[in-house]
Amino acid sequence: MVNFTVDEIRQMMDKKRNIRNMSVIAHVDHGKSTLTDSLVSKAGIIAGARAGETRFTDTRKDEQDRCITIKSTAISMYFELEEKDLVFITNADQREKNEKGFLINLIDSPGHVDFSSEVTAALRVTDGALVVVDCVSGVCVQTETVLRQAIAERIKPILFMNKMDRALLELQLEAEELYQTFQRIVENVNVIIATYNDDGGPMGEVRVDPSKGSVGFGSGLHGWAFTLKQFSEMYADKFKIDLVKLMNRLWGENFFNAKTKKWAKQKDNDNKRSFCMYVLDPIYKVFDAIMNFKKEEIDGLLTKIGVTIKHEDADKDGKALLKVVMRSWLPAGEALLQMIAIHLPSPVVAQKYRMEMLYEGPHDDEAAIGIKTCDPEAPLMMYVSKMVPTSDKGRFYAFGRVFSGKVITGQKARIMGPNFTPGKKEDVYEKTIQRTILMMGRYVEAIEDVPCGNICGLVGVDQFLVKTGTITTFKNAHNMKVMKFSVSPVVRVAVEPKNPADLPKLVEGLKRLAKSDPMVQCINEESGEHIVAGAGELHLEICLKDLEEDHACIPIKKSDPVVSYRETVAEESDQMCLSKSPNKHNRLFMKAQPMPEGLPEDIDDGKVNPRDDFKTRARYLTDKYEYDVTEARKIWCFGPEGTGPNIMVDCSKGVQYLNEIKDSVVAGFQWAAKEGVMAEENLRGVRFNIYDVTLHTDAIHRGGGQIIPTTRRCLYACLLTAQPRLMEPVYLCEIQCPEVAVGGIYGVLNRRRGHVFEESQVTGTPMFVVKAYLPVNESFGFTADLRSNTGGQAFPQCVFDHWQILPGDPCEPNTKPYVVVQETRKRKGLKEGLPDLTQYLDKLYYPIGGFAHKQSVDTTRMCRRTLISCLSDA
Amino acid sequence: MFYLIGLGLGDAKDITVKGLEIVRKCDKVFLEGYTSILTVGKDVLEEYYGRPLVLADRELCEGAIDDILLEAKDAEVALLVVGDPLGATTHTDMLLRAKQFGVKTQIVHNASIMNAVSCCGLQLYNFGETVSIPYWTETWKPDSFFEKIVANYSRNLHTLCLLDIKVKEPTEESLTKKVRQYMDPKFMSVKEAAEQLVQIIENNPDTGISKNSTAVGLSRVGATDQQIAVMSLDAMRSFDLGPPLHSLVIPAPNLHPLEMDYLAQFKSPS
Repeated sequence: MVNFTVDEIRQMMDKKRNIRNMSVIAHVDHGKSTLTDSLVSKAGIIAGARAGETRFTDTRKDEQDRCITIKSTAISMYFELEEKDLVFITNADQREKNEKGFLINLIDSPGHVDFSSEVTAALRVTDGALVVVDCVSGVCVQTETVLRQAIAERIKPILFMNKMDRALLELQLEAEELYQTFQRIVENVNVIIATYNDDGGPMGEVRVDPSKGSVGFGSGLHGWAFTLKQFSEMYADKFKIDLVKLMNRLWGENFFNAKTKKWAKQKDNDNKRSFCMYVLDPIYKVFDAIMNFKKEEIDGLLTKIGVTIKHEDADKDGKALLKVVMRSWLPAGEALLQMIAIHLPSPVVAQKYRMEMLYEGPHDDEAAIGIKTCDPEAPLMMYVSKMVPTSDKGRFYAFGRVFSGKVITGQKARIMGPNFTPGKKEDVYEKTIQRTILMMGRYVEAIEDVPCGNICGLVGVDQFLVKTGTITTFKNAHNMKVMKFSVSPVVRVAVEPKNPADLPKLVEGLKRLAKSDPMVQCINEESGEHIVAGAGELHLEICLKDLEEDHACIPIKKSDPVVSYRETVAEESDQMCLSKSPNKHNRLFMKAQPMPEGLPEDIDDGKVNPRDDFKTRARYLTDKYEYDVTEARKIWCFGPEGTGPNIMVDCSKGVQYLNEIKDSVVAGFQWAAKEGVMAEENLRGVRFNIYDVTLHTDAIHRGGGQIIPTTRRCLYACLLTAQPRLMEPVYLCEIQCPEVAVGGIYGVLNRRRGHVFEESQVTGTPMFVVKAYLPVNESFGFTADLRSNTGGQAFPQCVFDHWQILPGDPCEPNTKPYVVVQETRKRKGLKEGLPDLTQYLDKLYYPIGGFAHKQSVDTTRMCRRTLISCLSDA
Repeated sequence: MFYLIGLGLGDAKDITVKGLEIVRKCDKVFLEGYTSILTVGKDVLEEYYGRPLVLADRELCEGAIDDILLEAKDAEVALLVVGDPLGATTHTDMLLRAKQFGVKTQIVHNASIMNAVSCCGLQLYNFGETVSIPYWTETWKPDSFFEKIVANYSRNLHTLCLLDIKVKEPTEESLTKKVRQYMDPKFMSVKEAAEQLVQIIENNPDTGISKNSTAVGLSRVGATDQQIAVMSLDAMRSFDLGPPLHSLVIPAPNLHPLEMDYLAQFKSPS
């Protein structure tokens, strides 16, 4: 720590308008971590000369070996803006008066899709995002995924075009071609932004624009970068033109005629695009002179651009010299930090529009107002977004952002987990905050307290939270909203210790693993199996490695990866399903039907969710899915876990005591939705309707013991009579490769039931991009297969996209779904074969020689309904 | 042949002579042990009847009864039920099934709390609908039985309240799991019943029934140490009637003079 001490940082923390919380996001291998290093080198934490070579933020050994970021890492930096640059900040809430210094809290997050949950956690605690795009490969699938997430979390983006050195040295692009490439990337990014953000929305205009200075260009590896602001500064005096005006001139359709000294809006024979002329030309010249060893030109150029070579660099040439020159001419840290300070919002600005997205409670209570105004005197509201392992095995720092008030060492606070509901005592603890710490890459520093708008870690909270949670001093506070992940844990393996005596260590290790990763799921099956579920093969591989080496510290055996399936139905139940309670005094009449297309996704995305006002929700369902409005108002619950994409609808009319069994029915539904009838996989896209219920008059004979198992049996019967189907997860797979390799890709995809839906050439490059859907089940070993079939030239990125019905009837032997069901049942220790309908469906029987027996339930209902309507008419 | 035999209310000797004769000649005898209990345990019964008994819990009676009934096709099987076999209990379904399987059945009646409640002096003719008061949980607090008490009350009828017993009930959490865990046995006392009733009354004022309304508490009816107490519901909340089983009666507002005289002997001196 060269430039600042903890005390100095602490002082800066109070100047909330001068704080920038930002994440760096990008597609894998687009150079985030390397770029981050040049920022860090500028802020003075590691020596400037080593920027680009040391991946400062990759703290783990495997990260450094594999050269990918696995866990997100936070660093605080301090940067002073010069007087002349301060004028670019126009919003009064973006800087404190008389303060030039800015505190920048930066989070570097992984680019590989398998670790997107880390990105989600990083986005939650930041207000701005530096989107890094490799200008050679352009906008990729993960760029889009994370950008979309950022916009949804109301994170303001700025753009950086990385790897310009490659464009110049390897691809040898002409200036105009390079401009077109940049222009296309800016457009692509803005299209994504425009899709997910409305200019009239609370964030206002968020698109990126080179002429405003919110787009940077350069090379993280070589440590140089610029925005149009830097070049305008060089020319503004010469041209006697206002800086802002000149920036506008340097981008887009602006051409300059050197002879006539005239600007034009169109390309002519003797004029040249201003960006190429004033920005790219000088860079090209420097590259050309140094790389082609034109010694005599170099000196002249260096004087022109005002760079003097230090004594120790004097005998360098070629690439090494180029680095030195570019780095001192256009230092990356300076340009990027300026961009960040000028264009990214301060917590004061951001929390104003983010509060409604962050807070579940009423938008006018003390906590909401504290967040909205970023008030350090308001009650504490902090969101813990992830757990970071400490050097002390098994313990974690709770990492998060203070949104309101101050978090203080020794303070008594309420620690609320995601299942906390106000007024209840579940999942909430009142404890003392043992210690507040600053987290900076590899180091942690103790700090007395941290005010709102800042990011910090807490010691001692990990015992009370599983992964995430809210920490507050306000008694009536609601939770901060739970993060939504863009990926789901669809790949799972079973693990067991090699030595059975180590089982307790494994169980403890699984608990720690679950804590350390925002998304991994560690499930203890009732069959005694221990399951680890992750986003993809790589994610699982890393998780299992951590489990083995860090968390459990024992050798483990793992099964082959398997995929989670979902159970659904294709038709409405072909009969009214009746199940009787064990004491036979209570009877439930229900049917299942598939949800209309799009509704399960709406529920996943939270567009339809259990917390909505029931009237608004009913209106939405009626308008969009033509649900009957009265029925839509009587959705009892979502499931599994109270939020899943299946619903239970009360379609009954005038049943007495129904509300007294509702809880039990809901519990039975949650159970059935979690463990479907075919293979005990989760249900998806099933709507259950309760049509009628007959109950014992006495409450004691219709308690949970009677109703819960009966509900499950009845729901199982509903599923079995409604053409049960299986759904499998499908990846969206993006593959980059040269044209010659495209044929090989098709071959591999065909063998793996994948299908290509888009194929295009990356303009300006010989690379092709193939987009395909690939069932997750077919993805194991896909990367290796693809490489061997394309001579190692194709690189896939797979991200979970949707669920798709596995064609075929799982009840027909020898179909694919039948095989899957049998395999799954076997794995889970269930009876092999198919579930037997008669176990779940009961028959109505009537007294022998009785009357009115063959009456169907529907007619009973009709009679009852007619009776009710007669009564109400009268 | 499938026999349903009532055991009455007190101890081993409350079985009828007819019932005892059947028990002694049967091939297999089950003792239903979840809707009620006697003051004595299974071993005492076995000794008195001179034969082994098989304890039948809820899962056996509700889930696996078909096997027992099929066995009864060619053998003599009896199920012993505390009280009257068809009294406050729920065994009619068994008889329907037996009929379906073509198994002959016979019922041997006995005393039940449904008639023995008359020991408190309230006339059986004047009782309305019987209700049960279930144990409330954190989330499940049904109170529909109170409407029935009010309905009886407004028609000047007494209400017999049967109180929840949990002998071997699965816990709420384990209901949605494959492995069942069971709660410890518990039996609602008049104290607990009065407490729940008072809570309902506080939420539903103006029903005519208040905390000051009279209540009759009965415990171990039919046993030698049976107890009866008459006081206000409010006072009942802190009155201990001893070991289980307990029942509670909410008498009609206007009593027959003879009923009043009889009840008066159970009033505590205060």
